[in-house]
Amino acid sequence: MIEDAALELFERSIGHAVESHTGEALDAALDEVGWLDALEADQRTAVSVLFERQGAANATSSALGWVLARSLGLDSRGGVVLPALGRWDPPGDLDGTRLRVHGLGRGRWVVASTGEKDLAFDVSTAALDLRPVRGVDPWLGLVEVTGEVAGAETQPVMGWDAAVAVGRLAVGHELVGGSRTMLTLAREHALERIQFGRPIATFQAVRHRLAETLVAIEAAQAALDGAWLDRSPQAAAMAKAVAGRSARTAARHCQQVLAGIGFTTEHPLHRYVRRVLVLDQLLGSSNVLTKQLGTELLRTRQLPPLLPL
Amino acid sequence: MELDEFRTSLDTWLDEHADDLAPEHHGLGTLDQQMAQLAKVKRLTFEAGWMRWGWPERVGGLGGTPLLRAYLGEALTARDVVEPGIYSMTEVLAPTMIDFAAPELAATMVPRLLRGDEMWCQGFSEPGTGSNLASLSCRAARGDDGWRVTGQKVWTSLAQYAQRCVLLTRTGSLDSAHRGITALFVDMDSPGITVRPIETMHGAEEFCEVFFDDVVVPFERTLGEEGQGWLVAMNLLPYERSTSLWHRAAYLHRRLQQLLDAAPEDALDAAGVGEVAQLLYAFRARSRSTQHRLASGERLGPETSIDKVLLATTEQAVFDLAADGLAAEVAIGDDEASHRWRTEFLYSRAATIYGGSAEIQRNIIARRLLDLGSDR
Repeated sequence: MIEDAALELFERSIGHAVESHTGEALDAALDEVGWLDALEADQRTAVSVLFERQGAANATSSALGWVLARSLGLDSRGGVVLPALGRWDPPGDLDGTRLRVHGLGRGRWVVASTGEKDLAFDVSTAALDLRPVRGVDPWLGLVEVTGEVAGAETQPVMGWDAAVAVGRLAVGHELVGGSRTMLTLAREHALERIQFGRPIATFQAVRHRLAETLVAIEAAQAALDGAWLDRSPQAAAMAKAVAGRSARTAARHCQQVLAGIGFTTEHPLHRYVRRVLVLDQLLGSSNVLTKQLGTELLRTRQLPPLLPL
Repeated sequence: MELDEFRTSLDTWLDEHADDLAPEHHGLGTLDQQMAQLAKVKRLTFEAGWMRWGWPERVGGLGGTPLLRAYLGEALTARDVVEPGIYSMTEVLAPTMIDFAAPELAATMVPRLLRGDEMWCQGFSEPGTGSNLASLSCRAARGDDGWRVTGQKVWTSLAQYAQRCVLLTRTGSLDSAHRGITALFVDMDSPGITVRPIETMHGAEEFCEVFFDDVVVPFERTLGEEGQGWLVAMNLLPYERSTSLWHRAAYLHRRLQQLLDAAPEDALDAAGVGEVAQLLYAFRARSRSTQHRLASGERLGPETSIDKVLLATTEQAVFDLAADGLAAEVAIGDDEASHRWRTEFLYSRAATIYGGSAEIQRNIIARRLLDLGSDR
C-alpha cells in the first residue's frame, strides 16, 4: 500500500506528468516517476490516481495496455493489444497456427483464446498493420491493429476476465476525471456569463443541470470505489457502465450550459465530449454492458451479492 | 464491539430468534400492525443488547461505531422483519436529542425510543411551509409556565402513534426567517394538541395534520438555545439522508430480488433490469461511504443531498420496473402480494417529494456543493 505522505507526493507527480505531457512523452514521464513500480505495489492507487488525472487533463498514454499486461502476469512495459472497439474478448483469433489480430493500441502481446486456455503471443517483431485512428477524437492517439502472424513465441496466461475488469475500472476512472473537468468548465462559464443582467448560474434550469451532473459523477465514483472493494468482474462491469452513462450525461448537460462557446474548437470542452464517446466504448459500452448484465440477471434470477458495510 | 464480530453474532441471533421476531400478520400488514411489530422488534433487540450498540452510553447505549446501527437496520430490513421507513425514524430523531437536548432529558427519553416504548414524530412542515422551511409560522411565545405553542403542522409522519414530537416553532418575528426558529421537544398528550391522520394515495394513514392550540411546553424542553432551531434542523436533515438510506438500500435490494423471483418470463426487458441493478449498486456504494464517514466522526452536511437524489432515483426505478414486470398484479391484482407491490409502487412516487423534494436537493447541491452562489 502507498501510505499517506507518499500518496500525496505520488498524486502530485502524476498530476504534473499528465498536465505537461501526452502520448509517448507521457509514457516516458510515467516511467520516470516510477508509475509501473506503483502499479506493482498498489494497483488500486496507481490505477485510480493516474486514470482519473489523465481523464481530467484530456491526456493519453499507453498505461491501459500496461495495466492489462500486469494483471495477466506479462512484462507490463511491453503492454498488451486491447480488444477492438466495443469488445472485451481477446483481440487474437487462432486459426491453426496462424494468429489473426484485430485490436487497439500498440503492444508487445496479443492474447488469444484456444478454448481451454489463453495464450499471449509476442508480436514485437511481427509486421502488423497499424492504422493511426483519427475518428471522433484524434487527440487520443489511438492505433488500430490488424493482421496475421505465424510462428510467434507464446506464453500461457490466466485471468483475462480479471485483466478486463481492472481495465474497465481504469477507463471508468478516466471517464470520471473527464466528467469532473467538464463540470468545472461549465460551472466557471455559468458564473461568468451574464444574460438578462445576471450570471446564468442564478437560473434554476442551469443550476439543476449542473447539480444533476455532479450526482451522476458521484454515483460513478461510488460505483468504482465499490468495485475495487468487491473485486468481482461483475462489479467492475457495473461500475464501467455507470461511469460511461454518467460521462454521457455530464457531456450533455455541460455542453448545454456552455452553449455556443462550448460548440467551438476555441473552448476545450469539445475534446472531452469527443473522448467520452470513445472511452465509453472501450472494453464494452455502457449500453452493451447494461444489457448483458440484465440478460444474466434474468437468466439466473439472482441479483449480484450486496457490497458489505 | 467490532463490525465483523457484531455482524456474525447478530446474524446468528436473528436466525435463532426468527420465530420470535416474525410478524404476526402476513404480507404488508396495516399501519397498526406494522407499528406493533416495530415496537416488538425494538424491545427484543434492545433487551438482547443489539439495539443499544452504536449509541453513546449516556443515553443507554453500549457505545461502539455507528456502523453497528447501520448493520442492525440493514439486517432487520433484509429479513423483512421491520418496515424500513418507520424503523429509521430512530436514526433521524435520536441523534438530534443526543446533540441538542439537556443531558438528563436525553438520558431519560432516548432509551424509551430505542426500546420501542415510545414513538416520536418530527413536526417540521406546515400548510404554508413545504420546501421553504425557514418560512414556518407555528408560533411559540414565552409564558409564565413555559412556551405557549399555537399553530399547525402537516405531513407529520406517525403523529397519531407518537408520544413526543421534535417541533420547529417561530419564536422570533414573522420576518426573522431562519434566525427566529426554536426547536422544542413536546409531549403529544399535552392539552391543546389535536392530531388528524391524512389518508394518502398508497392507502396508509402515515401522515397527519397536527394542531396546536395554546399548548404549554416547559422551557427545559427547548432543544438547543432559543433561536437555534434552524441549526437543529440542519443538523437533523443529514441524518435523514444517511443511515436511514442505508436501511432503504437493503429494502430495495430485497424487493428487486423478489421482483426477479416473481416476474414472468419475458415480462422484463434486459436493459431495464441491468440499469436498475447498476443504479442500486451505485446508490448503495455511495451510502456505504457516507456510513464510513459518519463512523469516522466526520460531520455530515449538504453532500448527503446526493445520497437522497440517488435513493429517490433508484427507488422509483425499482418500482417502475415492478410496474412493468408485474403489470397485472399492480394494476388489477387483489391478493396480498399484489396489494403490497401496488402499495409500494405508489409510495415510491413520494420518494422525490418527502424529506426535501428532488428540486430542493438539487438547489442544495448547486448552492452548497457547486458553490454557484445565490439563485437571485
